[in-house]
Amino acid sequence: MADTESDLLRSSLDLLILKTLSWGPMHGYAISEWIETATDSLCLVEEGTLYPALHRLERRGWITSEWGVSAHNRRAKFYKLSTTGRARLRAESPVWQRNAGAIAAALRRTSSEIA
Amino acid sequence: MTLTPGWRRLFRIPRVGRRGIERDVDDELSFHLAMRVEKLRDRGVPEEIANAEALARFGDASRVRDELLTIDQQFAREARLMDWLDSVRADLRYAIRTLRRSPVFTIVAVLTLAIGIGATSAIFSLVNGILLEPLPYAHPEQLVSFAQSYPEKGLDSWQLSQENLAMYRDGASDFASFAGFARRGVTLGGEHPERLTVERTTGEFFQVLGVAPLLGHTYGNAEDTPRTNSVAVLTYAFWQSHFGGRRDVVGTVLDLDGEPVTVIGVMPRSFAFPRSDTQVYLPLGLDPTRRFGWFLGGVARLAPGVTVEQAHRQTTQIFRRWAADMPQLLPPGIVPERTGLTTLVRPLQSAIVTDVRRPLIVLQAAVLLMLLIAVANVATLQSSRAAGRAREIAVRGALGATRTRVGRQLLTESIVLAILGGVAGAALAWIGVREFTASGIVTLPRLDDVRVDPRVLAFTLLVSLACGVLFGLAPLWHAVGRRATSDIARAQREGSHRGARRVNNVLVVAQLGLSVTLLVAAGLVLESFQHLVRTDLGFDPRGVTAISTPLPMMKYGTNASAVPFTETALRTVRSLPGVRSAAFVQVVPFSGAVNTDGYLIEGHAPPSATGTEKQVVTNVVTPGFFRTLNITLLRGRDFTTADRDGSLPVTIVDETLAREYWPDLNAVGRRMRLTGDTTWLTIVGVARSVRDEDVATPSRPHMYTPIAQQPTTWLTLVVRSDGDATATTDAVRRAIHGIESGIPLDGVRPLTQYVDHALDTRRMTEILLGAFALMAVLLAAVGIYGVMSLYVSNRTREFGIRMAVGAEPSRVVRLVLSEGIALAIVGVVLGVGGALIASRWIGSLLYDVSAHDPLAFTVLPIALGALAVASCVLPARRAAKSDPLVALRAE
Repeated sequence: MADTESDLLRSSLDLLILKTLSWGPMHGYAISEWIETATDSLCLVEEGTLYPALHRLERRGWITSEWGVSAHNRRAKFYKLSTTGRARLRAESPVWQRNAGAIAAALRRTSSEIA
Repeated sequence: MTLTPGWRRLFRIPRVGRRGIERDVDDELSFHLAMRVEKLRDRGVPEEIANAEALARFGDASRVRDELLTIDQQFAREARLMDWLDSVRADLRYAIRTLRRSPVFTIVAVLTLAIGIGATSAIFSLVNGILLEPLPYAHPEQLVSFAQSYPEKGLDSWQLSQENLAMYRDGASDFASFAGFARRGVTLGGEHPERLTVERTTGEFFQVLGVAPLLGHTYGNAEDTPRTNSVAVLTYAFWQSHFGGRRDVVGTVLDLDGEPVTVIGVMPRSFAFPRSDTQVYLPLGLDPTRRFGWFLGGVARLAPGVTVEQAHRQTTQIFRRWAADMPQLLPPGIVPERTGLTTLVRPLQSAIVTDVRRPLIVLQAAVLLMLLIAVANVATLQSSRAAGRAREIAVRGALGATRTRVGRQLLTESIVLAILGGVAGAALAWIGVREFTASGIVTLPRLDDVRVDPRVLAFTLLVSLACGVLFGLAPLWHAVGRRATSDIARAQREGSHRGARRVNNVLVVAQLGLSVTLLVAAGLVLESFQHLVRTDLGFDPRGVTAISTPLPMMKYGTNASAVPFTETALRTVRSLPGVRSAAFVQVVPFSGAVNTDGYLIEGHAPPSATGTEKQVVTNVVTPGFFRTLNITLLRGRDFTTADRDGSLPVTIVDETLAREYWPDLNAVGRRMRLTGDTTWLTIVGVARSVRDEDVATPSRPHMYTPIAQQPTTWLTLVVRSDGDATATTDAVRRAIHGIESGIPLDGVRPLTQYVDHALDTRRMTEILLGAFALMAVLLAAVGIYGVMSLYVSNRTREFGIRMAVGAEPSRVVRLVLSEGIALAIVGVVLGVGGALIASRWIGSLLYDVSAHDPLAFTVLPIALGALAVASCVLPARRAAKSDPLVALRAE
């Protein structure tokens, strides 16, 4: 895939989407809103980047989609976590947390010495 | 609710197409933007600013849209593929379940197919290995066989003399390399002397073929002079059998004809040129000054970029230049350009297989016909099942399966069946080919290259699939071809609607027609072979054993000393129990060797120039030769021990030669001589002509000379014995060894074997073609019976009603039979038509049989037609027993 965004960013976005959908089916706009709130607008600089991620996750079978009607009575595409997607979320989040913690700790260090 | 692909398929919901995907993507994105705008407006942002803000926050919308379309289209494609694979898997499962439910049908069908496909693949492995597979030499397309031709002298294919060889090797720039070879026997000395089959070759032999030795090295032009020729290269088989594959064989010194010869190399296993029974290669010891003696076969490698045609032109020029220098060859005043003098340059592969090409192609065609009959047979079986399955199929239709869907399912079933048949067939072919090549019943060129290889397997798969589609059409016609599948009850009732009946008729006609064609063609070939076998060869090989007795060169080098040996040996052998007569001969009939020479008859005007004499086959014999082979002496006498060196030089000619000059055969007392020899030979007898080169062609003129006046060490003992030939042969061998222990006596073969080998290719064609035809007839008979039974059982109701309203049972029998006879006539007529075409095509395989042989063209088709009608009798009788009540109650 000819994406320029880094793998790190993409995999974290994927994980965030899975996390978002763990609350229940949502349409794209709601997902973007949730991620924005949950990450203080840090992870979605451009909302458009959300959609390719969603469609890719659907193709991989981690989420499914269906057309429904939104709260405002509009035709909207709702995404739902699939069983494999849920399993993925469970498996990935601890790994991500550990890595993020370790990287953050490393970045906090002030000395080059090996303790 | 989300639809899984499976559900989607069940309800046949079409996948969103390109248009649908675009709409969905646009809807999704505009929904997002609309929501954002709405939210901003709710916060009091003015409309235009909200729109701009929403777009800005979204980023590059058109790029996102493109990306989404790409992803979704890929997704849709994958989903379609998965759907398709799912349905194939389901079809396969269904097919296997159906086949398992009717094991008898499955087994019969698979076996029928296995026989057809197996035979087809087996013959294809012959075609593949012999005709298609490139020769196992470097750049085989550059290799050509080479000979000369002088049709005016009857020399259609004239081998090369040593001078010829050198002139092409050195003068023809169109050849990268050029070599000659000649088969010779040599004696390997030792405790048990042994006769070896040796190929004497010129120096560039290995260079032409471009094969590196497995061990050591090969020889080149430097080792190929009259003085330096004491090196040998072994074949793989000889290395294995005589040295157990020992790697230190290079450097070993062999005693060949009493000369020390050093082994310098071993060739790889695949190397088998010009024949696979060669044991040792020796340099010829080329002497370019030897103008006469045309005994070398030629093989050459074309220079890069040179065509066969170019090489032919260039070498013909060289040949004609040479001939112009030879007054012996050309009548005075005639320039070579006005003669048929030409060289023969042919691609090596086609030259090697030229004799077997036609028979192999005919066999392949025959076996394909047989396969078609087998396919028709399985189609019949399928039809009979399709009728029974009409209800099941109608139910599936009612449940919503489309015609294509049902059709695909049935086709899958047929293809599964075909592949099972193909696998069994491949196994049969593998066994058959292995047995055939190992048995040595026939000697075919390149037989070593025949095996079931990947190409044969691919062919088998392809044939199987084609078969599956072919016989899969029959049930398709039954099931899908019918217009209304809705009426379940009617579908159940009527297995015999018009379309199905037409299919069955086609099947009967096809099977009968194909088997008539095949049987007539086979009949012609069989008849030819019978004629060949019964051909009067002019001698009687039965009861004669040929024992090759080459005399050790060193001891008998002067040749004359061979005479006392033959006399002692014959005296001893003739006195042995069981021996009726015995003699020595230089060239055994059908041994493949033949000596020819030009001759002159005294009192007949010599030809306008020396060298244009007619050719005669010469042979050297001892007294008793004609009696031993049962060759009748029509005039004069046999040689006697009184015909010796110093007495009147004598000869016996054959009928063919004598007739040419003395129609009343009164040749005795006349004189003739061989060209290059000034001695006049007096004819003392006229023998019957013998065919000793090819059973199918009349013999050329022959003359025989007594060994005492033409000594040679190249001898074969022929012994006619009563009773147990083996015991007699053992006694003969002991007796010979008692006289001369240095003779290898391993070449013992019944004379009939020589003749048999000459008929090998024809015998193979005859046996296989006969077998295929027989199989085809059997299959066709079974198939026709099957179709007729089906026909009757499908019309049981109709017959029942007919009889209920008063039809006599005999009328019903007549009805069924007349239908059968009509079909039989159509089938036979078409088959005879096919046979007429086929017979013209196999004309070259026929001998003494007209391509329109009345016997084959009347008896066989009538017999087959009768067989077809006979196989209707039983079903017809069954029809007559139709009980109207039963028939009606079945409704």
